[in-house]
This record gives sequence, C-alpha cells and structure tokens, in this order.
Amino acid sequence: MTGPRDLNAQIESLVNRLRRRQVVGSWCVSIETAMLLRQVVSATRWNQVETLIKVVKEDVGRRLVMAQPRELAVGNIVCRVLRLIREVYNSEDATFDDNSAEDNDKDSNTDDDEKDEEIKSKSSQKIRTFSFYGGSGTGTNTQSSMINLLGDGSPMGAKRASVDDYRKPPNLKPLIISELQEMINELENTYVNIIDQAMEHIHSNEIIMTVGKSRTVEMFLKTAAKKRKFSVLVAETFPTYLGHEMALSLSEAGIDTTVISDSAIFAVMSRVNKVIMGTHAVLANGGLISVSGAQMVATAAKHHSKPVVVCTGLYKLSPLYPYDEDSFNDLVAPDPVFSFNEGDLIDKVTLLNPYYDYVSPELVSLFITNTGGHPPSYLYRLINENYDPDDTDI
Amino acid sequence: MDPVKKTAKELKAERRALQERQRAEKAARAAGNAAVPAKKPASGSGASTTVGSTSATSTTATPLSETAGSTKTTDSKQRHSLTKEINSKQVDMFSHLEITKGANTGLAPKEIHPAILVLGLQFSEFKICGANARCIAALTAFQKVIQDYKTPEGTTLSRHLPTHLSPQITYLVNARPMSVGMGNAIRHLKWEISTIDIEMSDDEAKKLLCEKIDNFIRDSITVADRVIVEYGLQKIQDGDVILTYARSSVVQQLLLEAHTKGIKFKVIIIDSRPRLEGKKLLNCLVNAGINCTYAFLHAVGFAMRDVSKVFLGAHAFMSNGALYSRVGTAMVAMMAKEKNIPVIICCETYKFTDKVQLDSFVMNEQGNPNDIVNISTTLAPKPGLLSEWLNKPDLKLLNLLYDLTPSKYITTVITEVGMIPCTSVPVILREYKPMVQ
Repeated sequence: MTGPRDLNAQIESLVNRLRRRQVVGSWCVSIETAMLLRQVVSATRWNQVETLIKVVKEDVGRRLVMAQPRELAVGNIVCRVLRLIREVYNSEDATFDDNSAEDNDKDSNTDDDEKDEEIKSKSSQKIRTFSFYGGSGTGTNTQSSMINLLGDGSPMGAKRASVDDYRKPPNLKPLIISELQEMINELENTYVNIIDQAMEHIHSNEIIMTVGKSRTVEMFLKTAAKKRKFSVLVAETFPTYLGHEMALSLSEAGIDTTVISDSAIFAVMSRVNKVIMGTHAVLANGGLISVSGAQMVATAAKHHSKPVVVCTGLYKLSPLYPYDEDSFNDLVAPDPVFSFNEGDLIDKVTLLNPYYDYVSPELVSLFITNTGGHPPSYLYRLINENYDPDDTDI
Repeated sequence: MDPVKKTAKELKAERRALQERQRAEKAARAAGNAAVPAKKPASGSGASTTVGSTSATSTTATPLSETAGSTKTTDSKQRHSLTKEINSKQVDMFSHLEITKGANTGLAPKEIHPAILVLGLQFSEFKICGANARCIAALTAFQKVIQDYKTPEGTTLSRHLPTHLSPQITYLVNARPMSVGMGNAIRHLKWEISTIDIEMSDDEAKKLLCEKIDNFIRDSITVADRVIVEYGLQKIQDGDVILTYARSSVVQQLLLEAHTKGIKFKVIIIDSRPRLEGKKLLNCLVNAGINCTYAFLHAVGFAMRDVSKVFLGAHAFMSNGALYSRVGTAMVAMMAKEKNIPVIICCETYKFTDKVQLDSFVMNEQGNPNDIVNISTTLAPKPGLLSEWLNKPDLKLLNLLYDLTPSKYITTVITEVGMIPCTSVPVILREYKPMVQ
C-alpha cells in the first residue's frame, strides 16, 4: 500500500486543513479522521499492539486534536479507534488463549465462534459485555486490561507473553481494519439511522421550533414532512444568520416555515409543541456545545415545559467534562455585531460575540441518535462502551 | 363639506379611471404571481379576512382624496399591492394583528392637521420610537392642533373639540397603533376638555388646555423620570455590573445620573434585530464616559455571568403585574431569573393600564416583515438570503415588536410613587387614577 512518506503527507494535509478550518462540519471531520486512521493502521509497521496504540494516540491523534481543539469530533474518533484496537486485541487474545489451552483448531475469525469459546473459556478474568454498536459481537470491559497490569490472575499469563510477539500481526491487522471499515460505514449511515426515527416524534399540525442550521435536523424534518403536515418556526440566530439558510432549505421542501427574530423566541414559545435542535458536540454529562442562542431556546422551552429534542450522531459524543463552561467556547470576530464603519466607538467599547453556547443537561429531554433515542442520563453508558478512560487526555 | 359635493362627478370619473388602471395592473401581476395566492389552502381563510379588511379601509379613504394626482395613486397602489402580498403571507398565529399599512400622506383626509401628518410619517418610519418620546411628540402635536382650532358656530368648544380630534387620532392609529401611555394621555386630555367652563372664551380655553397638556407632560413624564432616577440611584453601588436591553429613556437617564454622581459601575447593553435600538444608548453612554460592553441577544447567556443587576424599561404595565415591553425583554428577564439576578423595571405610572394579558399573542404589534430581510447592522441595507421570500410560497417572516414578561421574573418596579412589587400595579391605578377611569 502507501509508503510511510505518503502517509505522512496525508496526515499533514488533514492537519493543515483542520487548522485552517477548511474541513467544515463534525460529520466531514469524523469521516476524514476515520479514513486517515484506517490508512495509518494499514500502512504503519507494527509488531505489537502497544506500538500501534502509541502511533495512533500520540503521533497522529494528538497532532490532529491540536490542530483544531474546538472540533471535538476529532478526539472522539481517535478515542473510538483506540478502543476498537484494544477490543480486537483483547478478544483475539482470549480466543488465542483458548485455542492454545484446549488445543482446538477452530477458526478464530468468526464472531459466533468467539462468543461460544469465551462463554466456555477458563480465562475468567475476561468479563463479557454486550456492545450496542455494530462491529464485534462481543466486547471486553476495560477492567480486564487493568487486571492484567496488576499481574496475571491466571497461570497462562506467562505462556501468553511468550507467544504474543509471534502470533499477533497476521491476525490482528485485517481484523482491526475491518472493524474500522465498519465504523466508517456506521458514520456514513448516521443520517439514515436518525431520520428513520422521524415519524415517531413528529405528528400532524405540530409547531416545531428549531434554532440555527443543522444538517441532521434538516433531514429529520424533511423526512417527516413527506407524510405529516406540520409547521416550523426557525429562529434566525443573528449574527451568523444560519436560521435564514435553514428556513430557505425547509421551505423549498414544502414545509410551512416562519422565520422569527431571536428576540421573539420567548414570545412564541407558548404555542410551540416541541423544540428540535442539532448540536456541535455532546459532553460526557449530557450537556451540549451548541450554536449560540441554543441556551436561550432551551431555557425558554423549560419555562414553558416544552420538550427539547437533540438530533445528533454518536460521533459527536465526547468523553470530556465541562468543568468550566467557557473552555469550549470561542469568541469570534465582532464585525457582524458592530462593524468598523460605525466609527470611533470601537476603541471605547468591549464587544462580545461568542460562537458557541453551553446548554446544561437538565434542559435537554431526549437525544435522538443513530442508535435510537436516549435520555441524557444514559450517555455515561454509551461513553463507557465506546471510549477508554485512558484516552481522554489526548 | 362643499368641495366634496361640487366635484362628485369628477370624483366618479377619476375613480373609474383608477379602477381601469388597477384592473390592468392586476392582470399583469396575476401572470407573474400566480403561485403566491394559489398554494395557501390552510391560511386561505385568514388571508381573505385580512385582505378584505384592508380593502374596506382603503375604499373609505379614497373617496375623500380628490387631491390625489395620478402619480400619487400609482405610488399608493404599488404600496397597496405590496401590502396585500405581505398580508396574504400572514403568520396564522398572528392573523388577528394586522400589519400596518404605514402613513400615506397622499390619501390623508383633508381635515388632518399638518403637524399630525408629519407625526404619522415619523411614527410609521420609526423615526420617533420609544413610549415616552412618542407620547411627548403626540401631545405636542395636539397642542398645535388645539391652538389652530376655531370653534364653529352653534357649538361649544368642550363639545366639538373632541370630535375634531377624533379623525386626527384615527389617522395616527393607522400610521402606527397607539401606545398604552399615549392612550392614557389622550383619555386624560379628553377629560380635561370636557371640564372646560362653557362661559370661557375660545382663546382662554385653548390657553388653559395647552397649559394642562404641558402640566401632564411635566408631571407624568419629566418629573416622574427624575423621581424614578432618584429612587434608582439607591440601587446602584460601586462595582455593579448592570445589564440593560435595547433602549429605555428612563434607564438611560438613570445610568447617566449615576455616572455623574461618581458611582463606579459597568454596563452591558444587549441589543437585538431588527431595530438595533441599543446602539443609540451605547453612543450616549460611551460619550459620557461609562465603561460599556455591547452584545447581541444570543450572547445573553454568556454575558449574564458577571451581571449583578438588570434594569429594564417598559412600554406598559398590565394589571396582572405583567410587563409589556420591547420584544426580547422577556428573554432577558427569564435568563436573569435563572441565575437569580434581580430584575428592576423603571416605569412611570401613566403607563399602567387596566387591561390584563397572559401571553404575547393577545395584544401585540407586527412590524414590517421586510425588516428581517436586511442583514446589515449599519444604515446601509444589505439584503440577505431571504430577499426573495415573497416568491417562496411556504416561507413567512414574522417581525414582532412587543412581548409580555410574566410577573414572576420581575423583582421590583420603580415608579414615581415609590418602589413597588409588580403585583401592586392595580392598587396604584385604584389609588391614584380613579378619575380617569
């Protein structure tokens, strides 16, 4: 395949594009990162899994995250890939152990066989859990790796170590790459899985409020509009005016759309049935990093007791906690707020133009993701299954 | 009365010519705009009633306007057709509130005083906006009308003057719906007229009325503002960070006075589209040397972090303790309440009203939806993505001007009779203004 120099060039290219914000939107960023990491896994030479993990995490992953720290999707994908690698390694390890211990000649590449083996297996330190996303049929808890670090609970540990170096590479690489490919397919099908749920949530003659421009919400509403008749109020979110684009697109699909100014959100909220919005990122406590103005809408909805539904793919779920609300926010150019040709007031005035808003998890009622609908209290489980705690310091 | 009778035949001929021209224009327009009215089955009933009402008012206006030349009629027709299009795109929720046609000096009846004509134009173009400013401007214009008034034979001033003033008031209301304070002021004026002694001569009566109007402005607005500022100064201390929304004349006076007294505080001004009134306040405060921060409404959550007090102005105060003010005030008050920051309203008592209102739908004002299309923040308009909104059948724009803040978000109200909780508004009305009711 491609040599290491080409790989480096690809990495450099993505890093530069991230830094210059030429890759726009979490979805595009996620897919590009995932494909790049697949290249890394296939093109790098590695004998032990630890080397691969180090390459992915420190060499490539850290560079990508540093290029655009506000784009949390990059870190999410890197964490997912690391988790995948460790899982494949652990499950391969188990079958290899069983194979060598019981002297069976089973083909360890089929998922069903692995499951049977592990249920019958004697290596009890592996705890089997189900993972809810596509990919391997079994998963291993991270605690298993911690137990291994503390010293082996089984007499086979020493034996395993000696045959590790010899047996790993031919089996693991194609497995890991196939898992990565599945993850990329899942990413590409994110929208399809989300919009399939549209009919359950939108009914006739509803008035739905949305804020900003989210591709997910747009497709969600357009799918529902094919069979149901409802109307949408779009808050225009100045100074980015994303609401204008959203309204144009929705009205072209035949949905009855009204554009309102941000100031009228509280005034019309009493007639709205539900609020559906997208988000830039979802944090580990269920809070959102969303477009500026979302906090207003969510608070107004809570005061009127209207449900707030967030449509997002799981790739936006980040294992980070918002210890400080401002750490994820960006203050962008104040020109749309107060432009230069307004005169000499500019020197004497402080102008605020935050790009993002933090919405606390109490304000959100439901997350609609590609794996189904979840309340904010369930997100910690999804994080446990998709990410490893050692990786959050990328 | 005579001019109308004389030119009845000319009038008929002119009207027929007008109709022919309108018919021709409609045929030309129908070819282009066939899509717009056709695809509206749901809002069809709402649209037809609003269109019906606008055409009804216009036909009452046109017979009186024999002064209108041909150019003026085409202008008014164009604006008329545009308003018809905008009216056919009314948002259903607000179809009970008509979008005002604006002041049309060409179609004004003859007896409208020129001062009122000017005022109507200024109101509809938003050159004068703000409850206090509009009230003072309207009362000053009425002073001029009264000064130029002559009681006709066979009737007294106290009986005829109100009927003389009524068409002027109607014209102003058509230009822009009256504010609650203005309504109270005009009711007070009518009461004053009715108590004029019949024996008094015209000149004396007119002089007395003008004096009474001056007194009203002085007592209810100017001096009241000064008393409110005095009370408000007790609430501003060193180190305060004060947040205010859009532009209230009373809050502006309060902040300027606090600065002259030497109190060290910072101000955060939150502004919103499409009126962008906060800019004027910003200019004024910065020129006085106050440390100001300026942001749009979307940043209110971000800016609210450091705020210690919120001062807001009022357009009117309802009897159920709800505040009727510039759209967006409710949002600011709610966000402040979320963070347990006190919300202080500065309001004169002439803005109190007997009405009760529960939400922002019952009584409101819709502005021109085209204001939303322009996305620049400076005077030069810059059309954004929505400039073709009239051609898109499913797209509507809503430009609300006022909203209602529920009483639970308001901490206290500063009036010239003291600092009261917002639930005491009907008590004030009962105690201080029984005569006007």
